[in-house]
Amino acid sequence: MKFPKFISERMPDGKSILAVYAVIVTLVYSWTLFTSFYKLPSWLFYLTLPQILSVYAYSFSIDLIESIIALAGILLLNFTIFLFLKNREEFQSRSIILATILLGTSMLRLALFQNYEDINAFLSGELLWWAIAIPLGLILAVFAPRIKMVRSILEGFAERATVFVYIYIPLSLISLIVVLIRNLY
Amino acid sequence: MTKISRRDFLKLLGAASVGALASERVLSLKTTDSDKPNIIIILMDAFSARHLSMFGYPRQTTPNIDAFAEYSTVYHNHYSGGNFTTCGTATMLTGMIPWKHRAINYDGLVRAEFVHDNPFTMLGSDYKRLMFAQNPWPDRLVGQYYEDVDRFLPPSAYSLLDSDPLSALFGNDHAIASVAMSSFLLPIQGGNAPVGSSMLGYWNKSRVLNFADGQKSPRYSKGIPEAMNMGYLIPYLNEDVYEGLYSELTQLESNSSPYFAYFHLYSPHFPYRPRNDYLKLFRNDGFVPVSKPIHPLSVGLHEDYLNGQRDMYDRQIAQVDEEFGRLIARLQESGVLENSYLIFTSDHGELFERGFAGHGFQFMYESVLHIPLIIHAPGQTKREDIHALTSNTDIVPTILSIAGKDSSPDFDGRVLPGFGGQEDKDRPIVSVVAVDNSSFAPLKKAVITMRKHEFKLMAYLGYENKYEKSFELYNIETDTEELDDLSTKDETTLSAMKDELFTYLDEANKPFARN
Repeated sequence: MKFPKFISERMPDGKSILAVYAVIVTLVYSWTLFTSFYKLPSWLFYLTLPQILSVYAYSFSIDLIESIIALAGILLLNFTIFLFLKNREEFQSRSIILATILLGTSMLRLALFQNYEDINAFLSGELLWWAIAIPLGLILAVFAPRIKMVRSILEGFAERATVFVYIYIPLSLISLIVVLIRNLY
Repeated sequence: MTKISRRDFLKLLGAASVGALASERVLSLKTTDSDKPNIIIILMDAFSARHLSMFGYPRQTTPNIDAFAEYSTVYHNHYSGGNFTTCGTATMLTGMIPWKHRAINYDGLVRAEFVHDNPFTMLGSDYKRLMFAQNPWPDRLVGQYYEDVDRFLPPSAYSLLDSDPLSALFGNDHAIASVAMSSFLLPIQGGNAPVGSSMLGYWNKSRVLNFADGQKSPRYSKGIPEAMNMGYLIPYLNEDVYEGLYSELTQLESNSSPYFAYFHLYSPHFPYRPRNDYLKLFRNDGFVPVSKPIHPLSVGLHEDYLNGQRDMYDRQIAQVDEEFGRLIARLQESGVLENSYLIFTSDHGELFERGFAGHGFQFMYESVLHIPLIIHAPGQTKREDIHALTSNTDIVPTILSIAGKDSSPDFDGRVLPGFGGQEDKDRPIVSVVAVDNSSFAPLKKAVITMRKHEFKLMAYLGYENKYEKSFELYNIETDTEELDDLSTKDETTLSAMKDELFTYLDEANKPFARN
């Protein structure tokens, strides 16, 4: 399929998309693994090993869906509000900045406001947090990639993160099968 | 022919009427397959029998439940096997003491080998079986045998919002999917950990909290009631929930098959948010609860705070009592009770004393273990009072007996006196809390109570560094408030009860000895 020149000159190559996806996967799956360590001691108290592995199977399945949604969102942004930016070279670092700031804000808020007593603080600050995080993400996504050093750091990180795609995605596919089997039989 | 005197005639008449009453009950028990009675359990979470006016609570909290008791069987000494929902409910549903079923942790599950010892599975498919637990923990417990429930309503049914849209997708693996989704990936609050899913989890949390925050009602100035265990937050209105119950029961009535319906309702569980018209109830009524010393294992809450919480709890009870009364009136009107056993009970009580408010932790005093049990049999018109010690392990054996089904050799419970069972005056009633103990290991960190005759022994295992006492002993009949600890005064009773308890415990620990 041949895209119109306007689109094709803005379309990132597969390798760049994979690199961005690798960063998203690293963030999303690492967060789940990290938070699971809070829960693991209590799971060990009342769940058997197959049950704990099943909980991880559900978690990785959800993470797979989440990471695809996040990538789709980033691509959508690149083809809408960032459409005016021609520079394909900046796609990777721009997307990594966006993903990191948006997912990072979400993670930080989840870490700060966990309990029933935190509900009011979670709600009252929500608008302000996002009102800062979203414009900050957009501004940095536009300007930071223009700095060569930033670009090279982010691309280096993405390159190293690609290994997680090859670990987590097969694991997620196995997890999906486990979830399917547990629910069909 | 022997002449019958007037006195003999009166005796005969009395015996005949007792016989007629007895035969009425027996007839209702021995039903044919095509005419089996329906069985309805209405369980109100965290409902202490000590706060029921019929059991001597100075406040008139429950006029409608009291009225219902007038044509039902009332158990005066009924105990929960645990002091929080998972443990108490699992004890009821399995008919086993917690040290056997092992759903002893807050999020716990019943041991795989005992999963099929439950009323849903054992009543079988000739019963239409409905399950609705507003509290997510019993929802998860029953989720272990999801396939044996014909209609499984989610905790958010008849509530204002579906707070857990994903769990419903995983019906066949309900219990584990619920642990993964509701406790880990998509919890709304609490759970001693951040939400496990950074995107969907955040979205769900924000969605539910913003919705709940926006639910302002002029009728609920203290806020809309919320079902809120670790992980969950489900805003609901008792009016809607009880309306839903009635609707479910009338739908079940329209079927030709008998039914078993288990409703586990959240109120009067914390947070106490009664409707405005109950907010002034009991205010300045002169009732002053007995002052009790601060327990070393409590957080040391001030008595003024405890009494304030108690007032709100009593108001919440009064509101659900009104809903219950309305429901019973409608069920009577529509004829539902004509062929239905209605069991009203709770999973555990609530405590406002010794520096602690609520339930769970290491507190096993009467207010948190003594729960109501009132059973109305079809056609029953008179009140019967049972003073024997009973346990919520007895509910399922009784249900199965009513339905003419086989019992299980695994049960610790017995058929209740008044429904075919016999009172055993020497029976010990055991309750366990062991949230800090692995469910796969022998019980070494737990508080275990044994009620026998007039005495109650409390054994603190594994708390030596926090609480200098290992045992407390009370005479519940003469010291209902548990203020006079006899553990140093009556060493004979203490020693006998300790020996008996530890014999049972050693036996219960055997299957876990290697862990």
